[in-house]
Amino acid sequence: MASLTRQQRQDLIEELPRLKRFCLSLTSDPTDADDLLQITVERLLEKGMPEDAHVAKWSHRVCRNLWIDEIRSRDVRSRYAQSESAVEGAGTTSANTDESVQLDRVSAAMERLPPEQRAALVQVAVEGCSYAEAAALLEVPIGTIMSRVARARKALAEDLEWNAEREA
Amino acid sequence: MIVMSDDRYNVVDMAGTRVDDDHLLSMYVDNELDAERTIALISRLRSEPVLRARLSAMETNDALIKKVYSQLETAVPEHLAPMVTATNITILGTARRWQRWASVAVAASLATAMALVVTVNQTDVFNPMTMDAQLAQALERSPSRAQGWDPLGDNREFRSVLTFPAADGRWCREFLLAQSESHWRGVACRDNGEWVNQVVGSEVFLEQETQYRPAGAGDAEQVARFIDETATDVALGPQQEAALISAGW
Repeated sequence: MASLTRQQRQDLIEELPRLKRFCLSLTSDPTDADDLLQITVERLLEKGMPEDAHVAKWSHRVCRNLWIDEIRSRDVRSRYAQSESAVEGAGTTSANTDESVQLDRVSAAMERLPPEQRAALVQVAVEGCSYAEAAALLEVPIGTIMSRVARARKALAEDLEWNAEREA
Repeated sequence: MIVMSDDRYNVVDMAGTRVDDDHLLSMYVDNELDAERTIALISRLRSEPVLRARLSAMETNDALIKKVYSQLETAVPEHLAPMVTATNITILGTARRWQRWASVAVAASLATAMALVVTVNQTDVFNPMTMDAQLAQALERSPSRAQGWDPLGDNREFRSVLTFPAADGRWCREFLLAQSESHWRGVACRDNGEWVNQVVGSEVFLEQETQYRPAGAGDAEQVARFIDETATDVALGPQQEAALISAGW
C-alpha cells in the first residue's frame, strides 16, 4: 500500500480546512461535506500519492472524483429538491431578520446551482482563487472556470430576482 | 490576452468564445479582465445604469455568498488530523454509507434478518443491545449529524448517523454510542412505535489520542452488511429527516 510521506501528511492537515470548504461547495450540505471529507482522507491514506504530488491539487482531485462517483450513483439533487419543497414553508417562519431571510435565499439558490458551477464560484468568490488557480484545482481549462463563474452568478441573480418577485 | 471586439456588447476572446456582458462583469469583479477591456467596461458603466445595476447586484450577491459560507460549519472533524498523522492505522471506511446506498439494496426483509451482535468483552460496560428509555428518546428526537454527541446518561454519548427506510416499511436509524473509550455502531428500527436494536457492533476508537485501532472490524462490517441488506432506498436528507422527526415518524 502506498503511504504518505511525513511532509505530505503535514501538508494534508494544513489543507483540511480548505478541503472542507471545497466539500461544502460540492455538496452544499454540511453532513455530506463531512462524509466527503472523511472518505477523501481515507482514500488518500489508503492509496497514498506520488512523492512529487502537490498535496492541495491532488487531494482536491481525489475529493472531486469521489463526489462525481457519488452523484453518479445516487440522484442527490432531485432528492434534496423534493425534501426542500416539503419543508420550505416551515423553514421560512424561523427567519426573523431581513438579513437571515436574504442569506437563506442565497443559500437555497446556491444549492440549486449545478455542482460544477457552484464549485467554481466558491473557489473564486469565497476562496479568492484566480481563474488559473481554480482551473488547476478543478482540472478544467481557465476558460471553463470563467464561463462557469459567470453563468453561476447570472443564474444566482436570476433565481434571487425571480423568488423576490414571486414573494412580493 | 489579446481580445478583438466585434461590437460593444459582445467580445470574442482568443479561443473564439463569445463573451457577453455577464462574462465581462464577472471577470471584472474577479479582477480577471485585461487593462483594455477594464477601461472599456468602466467607460460603459459610467453611462449605462442598467449595466451598473447588474454589477452592483453581482457584488452584493458575492458578499452574501461569502457570508453564507462563513456561517456554515467549516470546522474539520476533530478526529481527522490525528487520523492523518497516525502511522499505524486501519481504515474501516466509517463514511462508507455513500457506497452502501449506491446499489439498489437487496430487498431482504427485516423479519428474516437476524439480530447480529455483539461481542462485548468487557464485563463492566453496559450491553449496547439493550434499548432503554434514554436511547429510545435519542433515536426518536435527535437529528443525524457528522460530529458532536448528545449525552445519554450512564456516561454514554449518542450520535445519530443517518435514517433510512427498510424493506418492510419501517424507519431505521444508524447510530453511534460512546462510553469511555469504547464506541459502538448500531442500527435500530421503529417497530409499532418502539425502537428496537437490530444490530450493534464495536467500532473504531481513539487510542492515546494519536492512534486508531479497530476494536472489532468484523462487528463494524456486520453493521454495514446489515444496512446493505435491509435498506430499500438512499438515506434521508437532513430536511426530510427533520420533517419525519417533527411528524413523530
